[in-house]
Amino acid sequence: MSTTVIRDQPGRTGTTGARPGAVGFLTDTTLCIGCKACEVACKQWNQLPMDEFGFTGYSYDNTGDLSATTWRHVAFIERISDSEGRRPTTMRAFQSNWLMMSDVCKHCVNAGCMEACPTGAIIRTEFDTVVVQQDVCNGCGYCVPACPFGVIALDLGDGRARVGDHKAHKCTLCYDRLRDGLEPACAKACPTDSIQFGLVEDLMDRAKQRVADLRAQGVEEAHIYGDRAVGGTGGIEGLNAFFILTAPPEVYNLPAQPELPQRKTIPASVSTALAAVAFAVGAILSLRRK
Amino acid sequence: MAYERRWETRRRGGRSAGDEARESYYGVPVIHRAPWRWEIPTYFFLGGIAGASYVIAGIAHVFGGDEERPVVRAGRYLSLAALIPSPILLILDLGRPERFHHMLRVFKVRSPMSVGTWGLVVFGAFSTLSALIQAAEDGLFGRGTLVARLLLRLPSRAIAFLGQFPAFFVSGYTGVLLAATAVPLWTRNYLLMGPLFLASALSNALAAITLILTVAGRTSHRSLRRLERFETVVMGVEALLLAALRLNSGKTIARPMHEGRLGRIYRVGVLGTGLGLPLLVQAPGAWLGRRLPRGVTVLAALLTLIGGALFRYLIVTAGHRSADDPQATFELTRARENGSRRS
Ligand code: SF4
Ligand code: SF4
Repeated sequence: MSTTVIRDQPGRTGTTGARPGAVGFLTDTTLCIGCKACEVACKQWNQLPMDEFGFTGYSYDNTGDLSATTWRHVAFIERISDSEGRRPTTMRAFQSNWLMMSDVCKHCVNAGCMEACPTGAIIRTEFDTVVVQQDVCNGCGYCVPACPFGVIALDLGDGRARVGDHKAHKCTLCYDRLRDGLEPACAKACPTDSIQFGLVEDLMDRAKQRVADLRAQGVEEAHIYGDRAVGGTGGIEGLNAFFILTAPPEVYNLPAQPELPQRKTIPASVSTALAAVAFAVGAILSLRRK
Repeated sequence: MAYERRWETRRRGGRSAGDEARESYYGVPVIHRAPWRWEIPTYFFLGGIAGASYVIAGIAHVFGGDEERPVVRAGRYLSLAALIPSPILLILDLGRPERFHHMLRVFKVRSPMSVGTWGLVVFGAFSTLSALIQAAEDGLFGRGTLVARLLLRLPSRAIAFLGQFPAFFVSGYTGVLLAATAVPLWTRNYLLMGPLFLASALSNALAAITLILTVAGRTSHRSLRRLERFETVVMGVEALLLAALRLNSGKTIARPMHEGRLGRIYRVGVLGTGLGLPLLVQAPGAWLGRRLPRGVTVLAALLTLIGGALFRYLIVTAGHRSADDPQATFELTRARENGSRRS
């Protein structure tokens, strides 16, 4: 896999465009033990139905992906062999050679899903989180390919017993719990504090400290995913739910430098308008009175 | 689920999850593909024809002479006829069709789908009005009735002129709509998508109008030749834009357009049947003045239309495939060493 080499960028690393008072998650993957308590807590609190039952063969990951009915997904990356298929003889100072990460909606500072939505169903809440209003969404599905992280999805059912409601769903950052002053269910359930909830500015300070500590311990690849340097790039301006990773983002199935899709709207419109003018001239020249 | 889950026993092309794991996260897509079904490419095809035939009719009306009256007439009717199924298709595709009017509760400049909905509404008014005027001119509302007199008194040239803006918009915005997503094939080619959709809409509308006029046999040879000339130019541009799209995509992102069934549809259907053959048949007639048998003209027009429909299908389906391919997304979002994507 050709991956991205992460380097610190002054002015971008560790900064986000999050508004003051914004809340979010810091998911520190170095603390994750892959227990999936977050997945279960999320399903229970939000009353989400179970997924298709079976074995994926993706290591211990039988969840597969985020979906309309799965809002936390623990990824399992086994690094038990080098590229030649041999077992490595030296190991890193911390953890094992497992990488585990609890993925979630990033609650982007500038969210592609929200900008795409033609009904205004997706809103930014008073907590600076991104939430789909279920009484407004009409299931047009445009938000789905507009999310650079493959988070939001329509609930189309499981094709058998369960009929979906055909609307868009994703993590609400437990909007109902936040309203009552509680932390989100996944953060509450996480036994190792791999998932931490709080003000984005506080969490970012904590993340920078943690990355510095990890690097001091010899984990040089440790970095933040979700600041303006990595993950929150291209007009996204940072992620309110961000991560500490110890390998290139691609290893975790995350885009290293995604872009806000709507950045293309204006240049694409301009080129279309120019083409329209050219075609109009062509049509006039061909059809005019001679 | 946005993608089909592949369990361990269901290997793709003989590759197990372990094989996939070396290059990506077990081959799981990084982004979710659009959940659209057959309605959307069908709408792209029909909506394009509706917009572009209004363009042809309007330009023939405003700039053309009396000889172009049959073109104006065919274009006006065709525009409305192709437009009528469009909202039905769009509503059918919704997860919750009964909530279609939620599209009309906001206007969001940054959302091409929102702008597109409103553009379609405005264009609908123009298309309907022009078709009604044509009907009045054709005496379908009787002679001297109130409706007929009212319609005939409207400034039809001014309407045709103003209508050019929404008409061009409807023909091309769908390309912008696809470009403003995270789908590698669509967003990598963001500058080409709109022009390509415009070109395809125009060539399809020209083919459809030529078809109607040839079958009806009520137009001058010269007028038909003018249409065909313009059509060959548009198709030439379309072929160039398609070539540019391929080059600009790069190997990984363009992969779905070459491989397997989609690759065959692209080569045989879109390039061969839709562009190559009609160009070969029409160009000598259009530019050297050789008169073609009616059957051949009809056939060329039909092939162009088939090619247009296949093109919409191809670009949507190949987009889905590129969304499903983790390597395509990584290709798009990998950090550049020289820092070109750093803002
Ligand atoms: S991660 Fe995707 S679904 Fe979540 S806020 Fe960002 S664009 Fe929307
Ligand atoms: S599916 Fe719902 S939330 Fe998504 S863009 Fe359409 S209306 Fe908005």
